[in-house]
Amino acid sequence: MPVLRSGGRAPATAPAAPSPQQARARRPGAAEVGKRFLTLREGSIVVVTVLAILYFSLKTDRFFTTDNFKTLLPYFAPFAILAAGEALLMISGEIDLSIGSVFLFSPFMFYEFSQAGLPLIPCLILALLCASAVGLLNGVLTEVIGVSSFITTLGTLLGVGGLTLIISHAAPVAMPGAEVTSTTVNVTHVINGQTVVLPEKVNHIGTFAKIFGGGIYSELIWALVIVIGVQVLLRMTRWGMHTIAVGGNKLGASEAGIKVRVVVIRNFIMCSAFAGLVGIFEATRASSVTPDTAGASETMFRAVSAAVIGGTLLTGGEGTAIGALIGALFLGVLRDGLTLQGISADYLDFILGIAILLAMVINVYVGRVRKGSGRG
Amino acid sequence: LDPVHEALERLEWEDDRQEETPRSRFRAFSRRAALTGGAAGVAASILAACGGSSKSTTTGTAAASGTPASGVFGGGASKPLKFAFVNHVTTNPFFVPTKYGAEDACKLLGCTYQWTGSENSNVNEMVNATNSAITGGVDGIAVALVDEKAFNSPVDAALKAKIPVVAYNADAKSNARLAYIGQDLFVSGQEMGKRIISLVKNGDVALFIATPGSANIQPRIDGALDSIKKSGGGITPHTVATGAAVPAELSTIDAYVSGHPNTKGLFAVDAGSTQSVAQVMQKHGLRSKGVKGGGYDLTPVTQKGLANDMLDFTIDQQPYLQGFLPVLELYLYKQSGTLSGIADVNTGLKFLDKTTVVPYNSTKSRYEGSSTSAGVAKA
Repeated sequence: MPVLRSGGRAPATAPAAPSPQQARARRPGAAEVGKRFLTLREGSIVVVTVLAILYFSLKTDRFFTTDNFKTLLPYFAPFAILAAGEALLMISGEIDLSIGSVFLFSPFMFYEFSQAGLPLIPCLILALLCASAVGLLNGVLTEVIGVSSFITTLGTLLGVGGLTLIISHAAPVAMPGAEVTSTTVNVTHVINGQTVVLPEKVNHIGTFAKIFGGGIYSELIWALVIVIGVQVLLRMTRWGMHTIAVGGNKLGASEAGIKVRVVVIRNFIMCSAFAGLVGIFEATRASSVTPDTAGASETMFRAVSAAVIGGTLLTGGEGTAIGALIGALFLGVLRDGLTLQGISADYLDFILGIAILLAMVINVYVGRVRKGSGRG
Repeated sequence: LDPVHEALERLEWEDDRQEETPRSRFRAFSRRAALTGGAAGVAASILAACGGSSKSTTTGTAAASGTPASGVFGGGASKPLKFAFVNHVTTNPFFVPTKYGAEDACKLLGCTYQWTGSENSNVNEMVNATNSAITGGVDGIAVALVDEKAFNSPVDAALKAKIPVVAYNADAKSNARLAYIGQDLFVSGQEMGKRIISLVKNGDVALFIATPGSANIQPRIDGALDSIKKSGGGITPHTVATGAAVPAELSTIDAYVSGHPNTKGLFAVDAGSTQSVAQVMQKHGLRSKGVKGGGYDLTPVTQKGLANDMLDFTIDQQPYLQGFLPVLELYLYKQSGTLSGIADVNTGLKFLDKTTVVPYNSTKSRYEGSSTSAGVAKA
């Protein structure tokens, strides 16, 4: 995404651009770059997110700190992965509501496989296969039988949630491989010029947990890898082109010889597999998982809203994975920032709602440049 | 005036640990002036300390009581303490008295609190909120430990950052929290089981639970089942999950009763299911058929149902205390410089029946969440 990158730094390059005459002749001016940047689907949401970050940085001195960066990660990274999968599917014109349940289902399958005595990695692969199976079921019911994806996945949202309750006997379990061990380390402090050695508790987690969700940056790295992967898939592969074509005009795509069923079913499977993966990440991060199906729809809803805020159309045919990431980041910044500011829960949803509306109004307003841009 | 001099020595030693600035010199001077001013000054400053006022006034004696406090907190202006309550169902009406309790305690002590967490028991969301509170630099955290393991790391991180953490409403054994303020859930369940045995001699009994597995209600049903099992009597318990939202709970219980006409008793372990039991009793006229019922907590519907003899009992766990006491304990812990304030409190196993529920119905009370006017207040 070279355009995005240069566009993202548009304000920074602005003073540098006019000084070398050649560069000015060769490259478009800062205003032009900015304009072109805004014509990207993600352009306006990036602006809105930057505004939100600026606002919170000015409001609380604790926001723009390394500590808060670490705190912010789990607010958006898991949702970015969910939203990337959902965006991929939504671009092909379908929606998956069942990701909330798959998100719960896969860590329990992981647990069951582990109880059966399998090592962690095979457990992970098998759990992801189970998640993918739900995607396959969704895809087949939608594309082969012809039930609308909203109804199909509403069914699997409830069904898989219920299955999770049955498998787990409705009881929370400790995630295998995510055990936290504590060791006591002697730390030397200097107090009043005197050296004092005090024992301090340090928590450790295993390598598996560190890679799959437990490490501080693990979810961020996964999110970046997956989002970039989906973006490349969408923009540079046949699969991606077909996805966009199917979402834009299903009949036309099939008449042009695209195997619509295969494309959509494949996207359903990807979407579910990502949801299963994130489920395992989040369970590993918390080191235990509760079969709380009441929260499943909320998880799903946040992922869908991140994708839509990031510029994916509910009707299909248009959208990006990067946009989904930024959409998730925007929602995460709002939640973290408001909690940091000390907003109580009774007010949080109200303020969150207003903030989203306000941001989306700005988003539409900024995005209007697109219409007058004369691009294409 | 020995204690005064002793105090001065201590404070000056505290000051020596910090760098000397014109401000600290002024502080030391004003303190000496105030304290050596006489016993009256001492008495006044003690009174001021008892009042817990953290507002700084311009009189000499107030300066004397204000400075040691800032010494404890590592200097700086005496900012009001800020506490965070991390809750699993932030918008649930059960916790309205808890919020009032926290609010009243904060007013009394001159602190502030934040009510945060998840709306639907999402543990990851609660962990995120806890981490935000730590990053935000709150002075203390009260958290409902609805998961056995998930809060261990955030609580350790908070304690490491010198932020005290207490648990309220729900507890986890393996957690490093300093204290638990709430009901002993398993024991309360056992007591409920004994009640059930005395009410229903034999036959089928339904036990309703909103969300099985939740650490704040599952132990209750486990306790009840434990008592019933130990009794070895003729009671056959059936556990029924009713769902997290009250309308769903009502329809689930309604459907269960319609499908199982031989049930001798309906008992619930959460607030929503309990009020639904009362409503279903009334709807089907089950009391005239001798069906027994009971449950937990006091919603307005449950209170009325109990007074109208639709239920045999309900168990009050005093949610007001679960908000008031954490603030009090965290405040004392901070003010005493970690020396005091922390204590486990069992907020209750109060069985209410037709007669004892009367005052709950006849008064509007802050302590049960039905009045918005302040409860405990400064005299």
